[in-house]
Amino acid sequence: MPVTFNFRDMLSARSVMGDTLDALGAAHDNVWALTPDIGQSLNEFKRNHPDRFIDVGIAEQNCMSVAAGLAYEGAIPMVVGMGMFLTMRAFEQCRTDIGYPNLPVRIISTHGGMVSGGGATHYMIEDIALMTSIVNMTVTAVSDPNMVRDLLTQSIDVPGPLYIRLSQGKADQVLYQPGEQDYTIGRSITAREGSDVTLITYGELVAQCLDAAEALAADGISARVIDMFTLKPVDRAAILAAAEETNGIVVVEDHLAYGGLASIVSDTLVDEGVAPRAFRRLGIPQVYAGFGGPDELRDKYGFGLAATIEAVRQLA
Amino acid sequence: MTTAETARLEDLAYELRVKLVQLCGTYEGAVHIGGDLSAADIFTVLYEYAMNVDPDDIRMPERDRFVLSKGHAAVCMYIAMAIRGFFDYDEIVRTYGQLDSAYGMHPCKVQLPGVECSTGSLGHGLGLAVGMAAWARQQGRSHRVFTLIGDGESCEGSVWEAAISARSLGLGNLVAFIDRNKQFMTQMSEQRVVLEPYEDKWRAFGWNVIEIDGHDMSQLVDAVDALPSSGSGLPTAVVCHTVKGKGVDFMEGDIGWHAGSVNQRDLERALASLRAGREELVK
Repeated sequence: MPVTFNFRDMLSARSVMGDTLDALGAAHDNVWALTPDIGQSLNEFKRNHPDRFIDVGIAEQNCMSVAAGLAYEGAIPMVVGMGMFLTMRAFEQCRTDIGYPNLPVRIISTHGGMVSGGGATHYMIEDIALMTSIVNMTVTAVSDPNMVRDLLTQSIDVPGPLYIRLSQGKADQVLYQPGEQDYTIGRSITAREGSDVTLITYGELVAQCLDAAEALAADGISARVIDMFTLKPVDRAAILAAAEETNGIVVVEDHLAYGGLASIVSDTLVDEGVAPRAFRRLGIPQVYAGFGGPDELRDKYGFGLAATIEAVRQLA
Repeated sequence: MTTAETARLEDLAYELRVKLVQLCGTYEGAVHIGGDLSAADIFTVLYEYAMNVDPDDIRMPERDRFVLSKGHAAVCMYIAMAIRGFFDYDEIVRTYGQLDSAYGMHPCKVQLPGVECSTGSLGHGLGLAVGMAAWARQQGRSHRVFTLIGDGESCEGSVWEAAISARSLGLGNLVAFIDRNKQFMTQMSEQRVVLEPYEDKWRAFGWNVIEIDGHDMSQLVDAVDALPSSGSGLPTAVVCHTVKGKGVDFMEGDIGWHAGSVNQRDLERALASLRAGREELVK
C-alpha cells in the first residue's frame, strides 16, 4: 500500500547539506546560496541569511552566470539544484563563466545517476564526463551524508570551482564513523581492505560495493573497495596500487560506462604504463533508460549488487 | 552638460573610430569592425561621462562595473579604455591577437586584469551583471553595474532569464545599454528574426526603458542623466538605435563588414570618411 508523502518530504532528507550551508552562511558573510527553484534544502539559509539567497526560478543558465557575477566580487556562491540541468542545461555557463575565470563557485547537484524516477530526461548520467572536462573544475561525489558537511566546509578554502554530486540524497547510508574519516579533496577512501580484486566506485554505489564485498567474503574472496569521492583530481596512487596489488579492477558507477570514473581509471593506468591484470566497467550502456526504481534499473543494466558480485567472482 | 562638453565627447568618439580603423588596417586577422563602430559613441559616453572609474586605481571598490556582453566588441572597449587612460593604445596595436598578448578578440580577465569579466560567448553578460549588481545591493554600495548588449545576442534565451532576475531582485543599480544596429553577422535582423517591438520586450519584462539615437551624443548624455538612482528598484535598458559600421561610409549597413581587415587603400578611404565626418562636426 502506498505511503502518503509529498514532494517536500522527499527532499527534506538533504538536511545535512542544508544545515551545513546555513552554518557556513553564519560563519562566512561572503557565502551565498542560489538555486533554480529547487532549494527546499536551503530553507534555513533563506530564513537566516535572506540577503544572500537568490532563487532565479527555473533558469539554470542564468543561475550559473549570476553565481559567477557574485564570485567576481568576492562571494562564495553555493548553487543547489538538480544535477542534470545544472550540468547539461548550463554547461557552457559552467565552463565559460565559472571555469574559464577560475571562480570559487560550488555546484551542488542532486539526483546523481538514475535515481529520480523521472525517466531519461531526469537521469543524470553524463555529469562526471561533463564536469571533469572543465578546466579548473574539481569534481567530487558524496557517498556518506556526513561527507557533504566536510566537503562544503573544505570548499571555503578551495580557490577554484567545485562540483559536488549527491545521489538522490533521500536515504543515504552512513558508511563511516562521523568525524573519523579523512575527506581531504584529492584523496580516496579505502572503504574496505582487500587483496583479491578492487572495486572502485563513488556515491551511492559505495554502499552497494561494500555489500558485495561482504557477500564475497563469505565465499573466501577478499574485495577491496575504494571510495573515489574525488574524481578530479583523482587519487592516482590508489588506482596504481589496485592494479599492482590485486588481480583486477572493477569500476562500478551510476553513470555512462564510458566518460566517467571507468574512463578516468583506465586513462590513469595507460598514462602510467601500468596494466591491470583484468578490468571491468559496470555502468550505464549507451541507452536512455525508461522508468523504474534505482535498484531495478541498476539490475537491468548490469551494475546492481548481483552483477557486481559476479564481476568480482570472475576476476578473483 | 555644456555644448562644449558634448562636443568633446563627440570628438573623442571620432578619435575612437580612427584608432579602431587604424588597428583594423594593421592587424592581418579579422576585427569586428562593424559592431565596434556602431558602439563607439556608447563606449565613449560610458568611459568618458557615465562611469565612475579611475585608471590609476582599477580595483577602486566604489567604481562602477562594466560587463561587455557583446564580447566581440572587445577591441572597441580596449581602445575606449586606452583613451580614458587605462591602457597604452600603441601596445594594443602592437600586440593585438598575438601569442601571449593580453589583447584579443574577446576580453579575458585572467590575461587583462583591467577588465571586469571574461566574456565572449553571447548571452552571458547580463547574468554576470545581475550577480555583480546583487552583490553591490547586498553590500549597501551605491555604484552601478553597466553592461553592453548587442541586439543580435538578445536572441539568446539566457538574456531574458537574466532580465527576469534583474527585475525580480529590484536591481535599479543595473543599466544595460543595447546596441540596436538591427544587423546580425549574416543578415539584417528583421529579415529573418523579428525582434520588434524591441523596446516593448524590455518593458514587458518590467524594465525602465530609454530609447535614443545611439549616435547622438546629446541623447546619450541625456539618457545617462536620466538614469534612476542606483537605489531604485527598476533596472534600466537604454536602447540605442545605431548603424553597423557607423562613420565609415563604405562599411555603414554593409552586411560584409561584420568583421574584417582593411588594406592600405581601404584604410585611407576609411580614414578620409571619418575625417569628413569629424570636419562636419566642427561646422
